[in-house]
Order: sequence, then C-alpha cells, then structure tokens
Amino acid sequence: MRSRRIVAALLLLVAGCSEPPEQAGFAGLAESGQSPATVPFLQPEPGDRLTFPEDFGPHPQHRIEWWYLTANLETSGGEPLGLQWTQFRQTLEPRPPTQAPPPPSRWPLQAAWKAHGAVSWTGQHRFAEKLARGDVGHAGATAEPFEVWLDDWQLTSEGGSDAWRLQVSAADWSYDLSLRVQGEPVAHGEAGFSAKSASGEGSMYFSLVDIAIEGTVTVDGQTLSVRGKGWFDREWSSQLLKAGQQGWDWFALHLDSGDKLMAFRLREGEGGFVSGTWIPAAGEPVALGPGDLMLTPGSLRGDMPTRWRLQVPDYGVDLSVKAPPGDYRNRGQFPYWESPVSVTGSHSGEGYMELTGYGGE
Amino acid sequence: MQDELLRVRGLAKHFDSGTERVPVLSDIDLTLGGGGSLALMGRSGSGKSTLLNLLCGLEQPDAGVISVCGELFNGRQPRNGRGDSRRWADLRCRHIGVVFQEANLMPAMSLLDNVRLRAGLAGQDPDDCSAWLERLEIGELAGRYPDQVSGGQRQRAALAMVFAMQPALVLADEPTGSLDRHTADDVADELFRLQAKTGCALILATHDAELAARCEQRLDLAHTAPA
Amino acid sequence: MKLFAALLSHYRRHPLQLLALAAMMVVASALWTGVSHLTSQARASLGQSERAVAERAQVERVDGMPVTVADFVALRRAGHCVMPWLEVERPASTGRVVGIDPLAAACFGQPAESYRGWDQPLNGESFLDIREAKNLAAAGDGARATLSLLLSGPPGQPALPEAYRRAPFSLGPDTGELGESFLLNLDALGVLVLLITALLLRSVHQLGLAQRRDSFALLHRFGVPEPAVRRALVIEIVLLAAVCVVPGVALGRLLAGGLGSGFGQALESLFDVPLFAGQGSSWLTPVLTMMAVVLAVCLADQLHFSGRQVIRRLAGQGYRVTLLTLVAGLALAFVSSSLALTFVAIALVFAGAGVLAPGLISELARRCGRASAAPLTRWQCAEIGVLARRLALPLVALQFALAMVLAVQALVTVFEATFDDWLSQRLAADYFIEVPAGADSLAAADWLETQSPLAGSGRWHRVVRGRAILPAVDGWPGQTVDLFALGPVSNMLGTWRLQAAIDAPWEAFSRGQGIMVNEQLARRRQLSVGDSLTLALAGERWTAPVLAVYPDYGRPAGEVLIHAAQLPAGFRPDGESFAISPDTADLDAVTSGLKRVWQTETLSLRDNGRIRALADSVFEQTFLLTRSMTVLTLILAAMALLIMGWVFFTTRVWYYRLLAVWGMGPREVAGQLVRLSVTLTMSIAVLALPLGIWLTWALVHRVNPQAFGWSLPMAVYPEFWFELAGLSLIIGLSIAALMRRQLRQPAAMPVSASGLSGGER
Repeated sequence: MRSRRIVAALLLLVAGCSEPPEQAGFAGLAESGQSPATVPFLQPEPGDRLTFPEDFGPHPQHRIEWWYLTANLETSGGEPLGLQWTQFRQTLEPRPPTQAPPPPSRWPLQAAWKAHGAVSWTGQHRFAEKLARGDVGHAGATAEPFEVWLDDWQLTSEGGSDAWRLQVSAADWSYDLSLRVQGEPVAHGEAGFSAKSASGEGSMYFSLVDIAIEGTVTVDGQTLSVRGKGWFDREWSSQLLKAGQQGWDWFALHLDSGDKLMAFRLREGEGGFVSGTWIPAAGEPVALGPGDLMLTPGSLRGDMPTRWRLQVPDYGVDLSVKAPPGDYRNRGQFPYWESPVSVTGSHSGEGYMELTGYGGE
Repeated sequence: MQDELLRVRGLAKHFDSGTERVPVLSDIDLTLGGGGSLALMGRSGSGKSTLLNLLCGLEQPDAGVISVCGELFNGRQPRNGRGDSRRWADLRCRHIGVVFQEANLMPAMSLLDNVRLRAGLAGQDPDDCSAWLERLEIGELAGRYPDQVSGGQRQRAALAMVFAMQPALVLADEPTGSLDRHTADDVADELFRLQAKTGCALILATHDAELAARCEQRLDLAHTAPA
Repeated sequence: MKLFAALLSHYRRHPLQLLALAAMMVVASALWTGVSHLTSQARASLGQSERAVAERAQVERVDGMPVTVADFVALRRAGHCVMPWLEVERPASTGRVVGIDPLAAACFGQPAESYRGWDQPLNGESFLDIREAKNLAAAGDGARATLSLLLSGPPGQPALPEAYRRAPFSLGPDTGELGESFLLNLDALGVLVLLITALLLRSVHQLGLAQRRDSFALLHRFGVPEPAVRRALVIEIVLLAAVCVVPGVALGRLLAGGLGSGFGQALESLFDVPLFAGQGSSWLTPVLTMMAVVLAVCLADQLHFSGRQVIRRLAGQGYRVTLLTLVAGLALAFVSSSLALTFVAIALVFAGAGVLAPGLISELARRCGRASAAPLTRWQCAEIGVLARRLALPLVALQFALAMVLAVQALVTVFEATFDDWLSQRLAADYFIEVPAGADSLAAADWLETQSPLAGSGRWHRVVRGRAILPAVDGWPGQTVDLFALGPVSNMLGTWRLQAAIDAPWEAFSRGQGIMVNEQLARRRQLSVGDSLTLALAGERWTAPVLAVYPDYGRPAGEVLIHAAQLPAGFRPDGESFAISPDTADLDAVTSGLKRVWQTETLSLRDNGRIRALADSVFEQTFLLTRSMTVLTLILAAMALLIMGWVFFTTRVWYYRLLAVWGMGPREVAGQLVRLSVTLTMSIAVLALPLGIWLTWALVHRVNPQAFGWSLPMAVYPEFWFELAGLSLIIGLSIAALMRRQLRQPAAMPVSASGLSGGER
C-alpha cells in the first residue's frame, strides 16, 4: 500500500497537480510535515558558513537546492537574447553528505531532479522541463570536478575551475555555451546565510555575478552566435518560504557602471520581506536589509507586475526595471515568470527578473 | 307434451359486485317436454342469458337442481363439480345447441366449414352439412366467409350449425335481436319450422312479445326476479 | 382540448394499452441505446488501446545481454527517452508486479494523460514505483525480475547508439483487426436491433389504433374533422415519445454501463493498457434517433406521403414483388464487391424475408387446411392463418431477433474458434525462445536435433521472420511482403487449418517443393493453389508453386511462408526464434543448453500458455457481453409478441369460448390454444433458421472480407438451433398460458362480426 502511495505522490509530482500553496508553498518549498526518515533535514541558520568547492556540489540533507544560471546575451546581429538554465534537486529522504547513496541497481528514490531551460529571443519565450530520480546516474551534481547534469543537459567545468561548458537541447531549440567565471563567489546575507523572513528562516545563498559567455543558440534550426554576461546562483535550504508567504520577486541586475544588484521580496499579504546585495564594481559586497532597499511593483501585464521601481537610497540607486514585450512564463509543473529585463533611471543596464506565486500563473 | 326433457327446481344465481351480493335469479322452476318450446321474457338484465347459461352448464347455479336429457345436476353438491363440467360439455357437444344474437360462426372459416366443424364435434356426418345450408336457403353461400354475408344469412348459417348436430334442446338467446323486422321474421320462421320438423325442444330468450307468443310456454323473469 | 380528452378517454378505459405502448417505447429505447452505447464505447476503447500499443517499443542490447540500469543511464544521457519497466514474477499467490519510474516516464508525452491510472492494478498486476518492485524482487521468495527499457518516439528518431537496437514491446497478443472486425459486426447488429425495435413499436401502435377506430368513427360522426383527429394523434404520440424515450435511453445507458465495464475490462486486459472513463456516445444521439424512429413508425400512416400509393400498389403485387426483393438481395450479396452494396443486399433480404414469412405461414396454413378433411384441423389452420396475418409485425420482429441471435451465436463462436486458431497458429508451440542477435541459430538447431527427447520428435522448429520482395510481374506491381520461414517442419504445424492446399502440403513443403501464402496475399494477388509466385530474397529471384493458402486473421499484410532451408545465405532476418513444445523434455535443460550454445546469459522465453489463458479469458468476457445483448433483443421480441398476442386474444376470446359452448372441455380448448401458439412460434423459428444462417454467411464471408480482406470460417451450430427452438416453444407456451387465463373470464359477445372486434379472418 505504501508503494502505491509513493507512486501516486510521484504522479502528482509528474502531473504537476500541485497542492494549494497554503499547504505546500510554492514548488513545495515550505516545510510540509515531518519526514518519515530518521535522518533529519538540516535547516540553515545565521552563522552557517560557505565552504568551497564543496558547496558547488549537492546537499543531500537539505530539502531543496538549485544551480541557476541566467544570461543576458546578444546575437551577432545585435539582438538581445535571454537564456536560463536551472537544475533543482529535491530531497525526499535526507542523508548525511558523508554517506554514500544506495547503488543505482536498487533504483533509489531519495531525491528527485528537475531541470529547466529557456531561451527568450525576439519576444518569443521557449521553455523545457526534464525530470529524473536521483542517485541512478542520469541526473546528478558533483563539486569536483564541477558538473551538474540531467540526461543530456549538462554544465561541466573544462580545464580549470573557471571555464565551464553548458549544453542544453530541447525539441526545437538548443544551446551550447562556453562560460568564463570571473571574480569570487559573492556570499549573500550574513556570510552566505540569506534570511527569508523577519523571524529567521532562510537559505544558504551565493552567486557568481560576473561570467563572460559565448557560444551558439539554435532556434528552429537557425544557429545564432551569441556573447554576453551571465549570473550564476547556488542556493539551498530546507524551508525557503514560511507559512503565509505566497511567492517571491527576484532581480539580478548588471549595471553599466559595473555595479551589480541582487534584490528580492518575499510576498506576504500586502507587504513582504525585502532583502538584497549591492555589489559595487570595486569594493566588497554590501548586504541590504529591509530598510535599505525599496521594491515597488508598477503596471501589470495580465497578473504579472512586469515594471518595477528599485531604490537603494544609500548608493543613489533609483532604477526603473521592465520586461521586454512577450510572455515569459515557464509553463512547467510549477509555472513562474523568468524574463530578461532592461534597466533605466539613475543607472542603465540589464538583468533578469523572476516572479513566482502569482495567481494567474 | 312428450317425455320430460328438462326439469328445473329451485334454481338460484347471484353475482358479486364488489362487496355486494346481487341476486339475479331465485327459485326458478320449470319443466319442458321433448319438442316443447318455452319463451323467456324479461327486461335487459333480468337474467335471461344467465338462465340460458345455467341450462347449458356454461355457468353454475348457487342452488337448485337441473335435470336435462336424462342427466341430473344438483347445484347443492358442488363437490361433484369436475364431473359435472365434463357431463355438461358432453351435453353441449351432442344434445344442446346454442344460438346467440351474433357471432355464432368462426370468422376464419366458410359457412360450410363452420357447419361441418359444429356437426363434426357433435359426431354427426359432416357430409350432410351442405344439405343443411340448402335447407336454410343459403346453399349457394356455402363457400363465403361470415363477414361476406348479411346478418340474416349469418343467423341462418348459425341455425344450420345447430340443427346439423341434431340437438335435443336448442337454447336461443335473442337470435333475431340484431336483425331488421323482416329478416328477423324469416329467421324466426326457420327456427320454428326446423324445431317442429326435428322435434327438438326450444328455449327462446327474447323481449319480442310476438315471437314469445309463438312458444308453447312462457316464463316471465320480471315476475320471478327478486325485487 | 376536449378532443384530446376524448381521445385520451380511451386509455382511461384501457390503461394497459397505454402501458404496453409506453413500455415498448421505453424498452426499445433502452435496448437500442444499450447496444449503440456499448458499440461506441468499445470502439473508443479499442482505438485508445491500439494507439497506446502502437507506441510501445523497447531497446535491446545488440550483444544480447540483458539491459541494466547502466544502459538506462547511458541512453538517457545520450538524450533518448527511455523508461525502465521492471517485471517482477512472484509465486502465483502473490502475482506479478511491474515497477516503473514515473519521473522517467514524463518524457513519454503529456504525463497527466498518458500515465493516469498507472497506480491501478491492471490485469491482475499492480504497478509500483520501480524501487518498491526492485525491493520485492530482492526480498527473494522465488521472485524473478526482468528489466526492459521502453522507448518513446517513432522508429529511427533519434538513432540509437550502436550498441542498442529498437525492438517491439508487447505483453499481450496484438489482435489487430480482429477487434475492429468484431466491432463492425456489432454495428451491423445495432442496425438490426433498431429495425426490430421499429417493427415492435409499429406493431403495438397499430394495434392500439385499430382498437380505437370505433372511437375515431364516433368522433367523426360527432362532426370532428378527420385532420383534427390526426393532429391530436400526432401530438399524443409526440408527447408519449418525449416521456418514454428519455427514461428508455437512461435505462439503456445504465445497462450498457453495467455490461460495458466488462467490455472495457476485456479490452483493457487484452492490450495491457488502462482504459479511460467510458466515452460512449452522448445523450443527444440516442434520444434523437429513438424519437425519430418512434415518430417515423407511429406516424408513417398519418402523413400523406406519395410513396404510400406506390407501396400499396407494390403490396398488391404481393409475393411476386417480395420474392423479387428476396432474390435480388440474395443475388446482390453474391456479386456485391463493396461493403455498402452488401449491406443493401442484407437489407433487401431482410425486407423480403420479413414480408414473406407471415404470408408464407398463412399460405401454408391455408393449403394445409384445404388438404385436410377434418373440420377441426381446418379450423386450426384457418386460425393460424389469421394469427400469422394479424400478428405479422411482432412475428417478423421475433423472426429477425431469432435470426440475429442465431447469427451472433455463430459469429461469436466463429470468432472464438478463429481466435483460438489464430493463437494456435501463432503460438503453436508451448514456448518461444528468441535467438539473441548475432547468435548462430543453425548451431542451435543442430544442437536441438541431438537432444534425445527432442531429436526427431517434431516438437520444435526454427522460425525466421523477415521481408521478401514480390517483383513486378504480369501486370502486378512490385511489393514487399512479410516472409515467414520455418524448418524443420514440426508436428505442431499439423494443427494449422489450411484454406486450400494440394495433397500432403506439408510433405511437399518440407521437401522444398513450394511455398505457402496467407489469405490476404492470395486475395490481393488472386493466387490459388498451383499458381507460381516469384520472390526476390537477398537479391536472388526464385519462383515456386503455391502449395497452400493459410488463414491469417487480423493482419493486413501479405505473407509468404517458405522452408528455412531455402533462405539464401545472404538473407538478413528481422528476428529468429525457436518454437518448442518440450513435452517430456526438461525446458530448463533446453534453455541452459541453448545458453551454452549461444554463450549468453539470458534468453527471451515466452510462455505461450499464459498468453493464451489471458487471451481466452478476455474474449470469453467480450463474447458473453454480445450474447447477452442479443438475448435481450430476443426477450424484447418475445415480450412484444406476448403483448400483441394477449391484446389480440382479448378481442378474439369470444370465438375461443364458442369451442367451449360447442362442447369442448376447458383442457381441450387450452390444448387447442397451445397448439395454435406453439405452431406459430415454431414456424417463425423454422423460418428464422435459414435467415440466420444466411446472415451468418453474409457477415462472415461477404462483410468481413470486403471490410478487412480476410474471411472468417463459416460454421453452423445445430445444437444451438435446438436451444432456440426450445426458446420459441417457451414463448408459444407463455402466449397460450396468457390466453388461457383470459378464457376463464366471461367473454363479451362482439358487438358486430366486423374485422375490428376479433372477427378477423
């Protein structure tokens, strides 16, 4: 009977029949009941530290984590092209990182993997999703050498640790990119502990904010040469959303001044919890708390607020952020908005915006 | 009057109408000799047809004794019922002929076949049947079907059927009731002529006083019927 | 409104007549809805199943080794959409389970639709998550696990890595067109049922009208114009239909729902695919159809259509026209080359037979009466004649129903037998052992020939499957056909039923003196035994005489059967296997021996007994269902005859009482009634027999080949005729019993001797 229930649960996962957000939170990110396993989930806390290169690899004792790349590229013809690759890992049965997973021949199911890929070009948005069970071998991640893969989608380090290659292919589009990582990882929040609410829930979160990218993107048989810059996030937690939080709005912006800005808001009722990181072109990153940063949604496109005002008064930042025309919803199991944005105002620039948990999605 | 053919004593019959018990006949006595004739008179519903049915065993009396053609039927001994119905059937088959106002003939058979069927059941020679039709002046209609001839001709055929069985007693229930006066007279003439000729007894239920007057005896049920 | 009240007052006095008409409408609607709902549901299910089955393919290793998790990972990493399918065989008491990975299945299509219900037990098996299935297998208890990798997408896209190849994946036998053919026949029967219900409705309605003609005449005398009466009657029937058809359709759906779940399950187990919620026809179609039928049959007389005169004139021509119709239908069925024409022929034959049957009975009765001197016999014959004419419509309906039941029984039995034959042919041996790719089948054959229980026993043969080309010759275009090579010729082939053959065909075949072709190819190329056929195999041409034509049900493809020894050296088979009935030989010894010969770890072994048992049980269910529908039709026809007989006798009871007045005892009268009604129903049964046999022939030998290119064998089942005769006897006795009840009540003398009051002749 138990196995029947597991299959049913997996089917739910596959079929995208999400439970109401009050119960499970967006993408199952809120804590949902007690795990039957004897090994507990670990919850990030203030004071936790990042360790490299281990933290590029998976965290089997945390409920959820992701490897997230967004890129603002330009084709040889000068057209902007946005690109996303994400791989999620969801732990079903936590396991200490020191312990080896069961052998693949047992078809273990301690974790499930999911990968998202998207290309946004000329107002069109293409998206694909892949699923896999963990520890069988066709999906996984390792810190050294750094590799993240699901089926034939893969991010691999080539030669040195700062040269990566990303290959993703879907039915009618694909990309093959070389990434050159510049700069050190930026730890968000308190040395990597990024609070997600005033009461202390949070995640471990760091980014590589300066990545030079070049390669090819093929759409409908047409191969385009592209180059530009990327932003890579690593984040893990066992509870990202606390009860009552409906979703988040997240921004990663490359300003033409060379400064970078990460900002997010976890929505709760009318307000929410706001946080971010100011990464100046020169100097150390500065964590921005709720009092340092203002995020104001502007006009709606359907249900989605596609225009925003971002203010960081301390640094003279007052930005108008907007998505290009088009519909950038990733229509997977858990739909959300992921689009490139252009920045005007006190600074000009570009970046990426993610909007989750909106009713109309 | 010749030997006694029919004797009825204390005959009574009622019908149940819902919970009510409706007496139809009570304390009927009558006697009829071979070759005799009796007219049953009375309004509609006075029990004429019921009496005829009792006299040929198609219905059973509540009380009374019927002696007919040498057979005795005692209405007070119902345990004898099964044997009675057999004896009645035999009597109707061979000795008691019944003529109704209408529909005396099987519709799917010719007049001749009808007469032959009736005579055959009575054990008479079917070959004589054409002669009976001739005697009733419908010989040329022998091959016709009942719905192809007139009402008078149908009743003549019915008479041919009854007399072809050479009955001892003929029970006729308004035999001319649905005919026009002229035809009715012709049919009645035939009936009395054949009765006289064959020497059978006749009980004729009618409300035609003129017809009743042609019978030797007369029983008016309006007088015997319970008030 | 007053007029309407006056018309309805008839029913107040005779509520049973209204009830009979209403009941007939309800039951007829239910029956037809049931049949059509069932057919459409079955069709939908079959379609879905076939689509699902068509997509099933698996990946095998070219080196013949079983696939493993590593192969799964390698294929997924190479971008192929494969999913694991772990079959765990457990001891009989616990049954078989299949482990799947729903996450891997996601790439097979829209997961929400393709995989709904995979957690349901299927065909006695349960689907589990593959980890749980693996745990069960690992727990021991004699469980055995076999991993397959199911492959999505059309063949060749994308190309598999070199170490792998694509292979069909099927758990159940693929019945192909056999199911389609069955459905087509079910459709034909649905039309027949509609016809029968129409006849029954009309008969009951006509009877009601006849009984009310006196009231109509009265109304007419009171000065009500005839069109007004007609209008009122139309309104009455429309209202009655509206009230009765919808509950009838609901009842039919209920009936079909109950029976249909059986059909669904049957198909489900057959194709190993879950069926989705019943997708029968909507409400609208059956309601509108039945409304149309009711109105058409009941109001045909009310409408002044010009065809009536023609029909009347034709009817005046009587038997000449009827006979002509019948003969034309029979002839057309013989020569017709299209499905539509064959259905026209069937319609003509039924029309002819329907008009002829009551007339024939009544004519025979007339002759028999004329021939007899006994007055009572003449009366009986005359009465049977009347009954046959007056009850013509319900009698014809009963005749059609009997014929249909007969045909369905034969058809179903033939299907069962055919299916059995087909299984015997395809699964002649107890086991099939696949020759692994690259393995030497001839070495295995040599080895088998040395094994003492099998040597010379004729208990095994080698099967080679591939393709052959028929070059363009004599005006025939070139074509590719399936090639089926066998050798040595084993005893098991003796069970094949050949449609046409020379003397001792298998002896000639084993000496390599010719080839055999399947029926489809024979029909398509107009080949008969003795004709020569030229084949191109691996580039070599050779011509051989046709030794026999064998039936090959449910497949559209043409096929040539040759002796394996005649395969040219360069021939590349699609697949090779050994068919083995080890009998006394130890199967394990055979398989381990073959493993040694082929130096392989695994053998693909198919237990045909299990497949056959599954298929048998599936078809049993399906056929049971069809039978129950036809029996329901029969019951309806019998009911209609009972109602009609009962009403008719009410009008005629006076005349049967005359027999009692004339001195017949009650038993004797009852005996006469029994004789009449039984003679009537038995004559109808006798007349239904040739019609039923002909219908069987038409469905099996004309409709099926025209629709599918292969015929079913024709068979008759006399023992079933006796069952039907028994049923007719029971119907006759029931009518007599009903009539006898009426005789006990005193009868009113008819007011006139006219035809409407029971004085029919």
